[in-house]
Amino acid sequence: MTILNEPPVTGTTTPPSSATAPPVRKQTLGKAVVNWVTSTDHKIIGYMYLITSMVWFAVAGLMALAIRAELAVPGLQIISLEQYNQLFTLHGTIMLFLFATPLFVGFGNVIMPLQIGSPDVAFPRLNMFGYWLFLFGGLVVAAGFLTPGGAASFGWFAYAPLSNAVNSPGAGADLWFLGLALGGLGTILGAVNFITTIFTMRAPGMTMFRMPIFTWTIFITSVLVLIAFPVLAAALIMMFIDRQFGTVVFAAENGGAILWQHLFWFFGHPEVYIIALPFFGIASEIIPVFSRKPIFGYKGLIFATMAIGALSVAVWAHHMYVTGSVYLPFFALMTMLIAVPTGVKFFNWIGTMWKGSVSLDTPMLWTLGFLITFLFGGLTGIILSAPPLDFHVSDSYFVVAHFHYVVFGTVVFLMFAGFYFWWPKMTGKMLDERLGKIHFWMLFIGFQVTFLVQHWLGVQGMPRRYGDYLPVDDFTTLNIVSTIGAAVLGVSTLFFIWNVLTTWKNAPHVNVDDPWGWGGSLEWATSCPPPRHNFTSLPRIRSERPAFDLHHPELAPPSARSQPQISSSASSTPGGGH
Amino acid sequence: MKIEGWSFLLGFFFYLLVGGAYWYFSRDEVGTTLLVLTGALAFLVAFYTLYTAKRVYPRPEDRGDAEIDEADPEYGFFSPHSWWPLVVALGAMAIAMGLVFATWVIVFGVGVLMIGVIGWLFEYYRGEFAR
Repeated sequence: MTILNEPPVTGTTTPPSSATAPPVRKQTLGKAVVNWVTSTDHKIIGYMYLITSMVWFAVAGLMALAIRAELAVPGLQIISLEQYNQLFTLHGTIMLFLFATPLFVGFGNVIMPLQIGSPDVAFPRLNMFGYWLFLFGGLVVAAGFLTPGGAASFGWFAYAPLSNAVNSPGAGADLWFLGLALGGLGTILGAVNFITTIFTMRAPGMTMFRMPIFTWTIFITSVLVLIAFPVLAAALIMMFIDRQFGTVVFAAENGGAILWQHLFWFFGHPEVYIIALPFFGIASEIIPVFSRKPIFGYKGLIFATMAIGALSVAVWAHHMYVTGSVYLPFFALMTMLIAVPTGVKFFNWIGTMWKGSVSLDTPMLWTLGFLITFLFGGLTGIILSAPPLDFHVSDSYFVVAHFHYVVFGTVVFLMFAGFYFWWPKMTGKMLDERLGKIHFWMLFIGFQVTFLVQHWLGVQGMPRRYGDYLPVDDFTTLNIVSTIGAAVLGVSTLFFIWNVLTTWKNAPHVNVDDPWGWGGSLEWATSCPPPRHNFTSLPRIRSERPAFDLHHPELAPPSARSQPQISSSASSTPGGGH
Repeated sequence: MKIEGWSFLLGFFFYLLVGGAYWYFSRDEVGTTLLVLTGALAFLVAFYTLYTAKRVYPRPEDRGDAEIDEADPEYGFFSPHSWWPLVVALGAMAIAMGLVFATWVIVFGVGVLMIGVIGWLFEYYRGEFAR
């Protein structure tokens, strides 16, 4: 028996939450640009983050295609070795700093305040400042290509003494250091903003242990940003001072080479989890919706996320096994320990799908692609965590294959999952399912063909970061396969672009709050797209999926059933709904 | 506020423990410093948050049985739009470019930065949205 003032609302009959349409103003291009440039709306800033990082994704993806084209056959056909060095340096830099990290900030900005029932983030202007620092920092890094010496060419982790003023002279390298310091400052400010928002701006009843898993991952990721990015900023600025003003912090004779590696990887390893955890959160949002079940082991998933975050700060020197100057057992143990909470997460995701009514809509398809791909990356990660095995394949294509399985599997697969899932919430249009499935299968096959064979290339002994190899090395066949895969992968992206363009013009506007029908968290309890300050009314929050309780009151906990909508003054009439 | 504070306090204990163990086994100054300072960072946030939690009643968002209308009606002031973040960021970028290319650009950048910071700070002390 339900006690309702209004007839039970379901996903298909809910009118748009915005009660009255605002008066229509004449919208010109100039006004639109000014609106976005001066915006303090977390959603618009989030869209700017997402769009900008997608542009960087395209740029660095084209660099990857150039790298693969060069490596297809022995000999230098397309680019010189110096250009090759610049390309792989900037490919790594852009993908890590200007694509994956801001993508986390973008998704966090758009979705997280909606999920906790907040009208905006805690510091709207700081939020915008963070975006500008990211954009300008990225442009400063990329401006290196316009300098006479070209862009930085010392690899994305800029090992000293290779990256000092003697070995890498030129403005391109200087711009690399300062651009990343600028962008890193933006990321730190974004993290402060997220933590404050989560601590102080939740809706009444939204206790910490009712927050959606995605919001939890944003919180823990932001803490990791606070731990890692200041160390990076310090290292970058000290190296810049070394280069410009002749200090000797990272001089090799003072042990500076190892110091740089310690500082860089103390940032670099948490960074891997900074770009992975939020996307695990996206998976944890999507799987319950398309399995028609609540998430299995909600608190277990949160504690697993905390454990991954905490451990990720204590494993940095597994990137430094081959230096011979780190304490191997400690880092091997810590690295292997991370597999435990990660396994817990897999257990939870599979447990959610188990005996659920799984429907393979595009977001779910992408999430399954992530589960398979990331599993491979995790397994090779355990192989690499053992020093005796790592010694043999360190800095080979085995490592390249490993981290592309991990990072591409997580960031790219779940980014597209998140786009297909939240596209109606962000734009008011559904993306096309058929094009989405073609996109998925082409990208999935292209990715596996590109990177699976690189495991064997690495075991055969092909080192990473070499622009060329000899016919007698016997690497040619697998490299051709890998390049063909990369081409398929590149072409698949065109389907996404086509999908966005065609649905933008032709798809009908979504006029329900929850087009998927089984959404759990609060972003599905407001219109698509949400109004300026997100909600015209909030449902009562009595579980970790208030929107589900709102739309399916027959399944909600009893305390959540009486939903005071806009007029909460009317006393509840028993049996009013029937 | 208690859960928020404890999530940081757990980090403090963890990094102190790990830092101690790491120093005992490896005698590596750099890594130990990093781990212990990470613990200190966690303590800083945990202390402030738990201290605040002791001094305030449980907020509506800390209570599982709170109703939506228990939120503070004076929810807060949200800047409707602002040019100043762009100005401050332009100043910061000019300083970065100046450090690489030419000193006079630094001077220019500091000027833009100062104008931007002042504009940002005093934006809501005057004009249409003064409060």
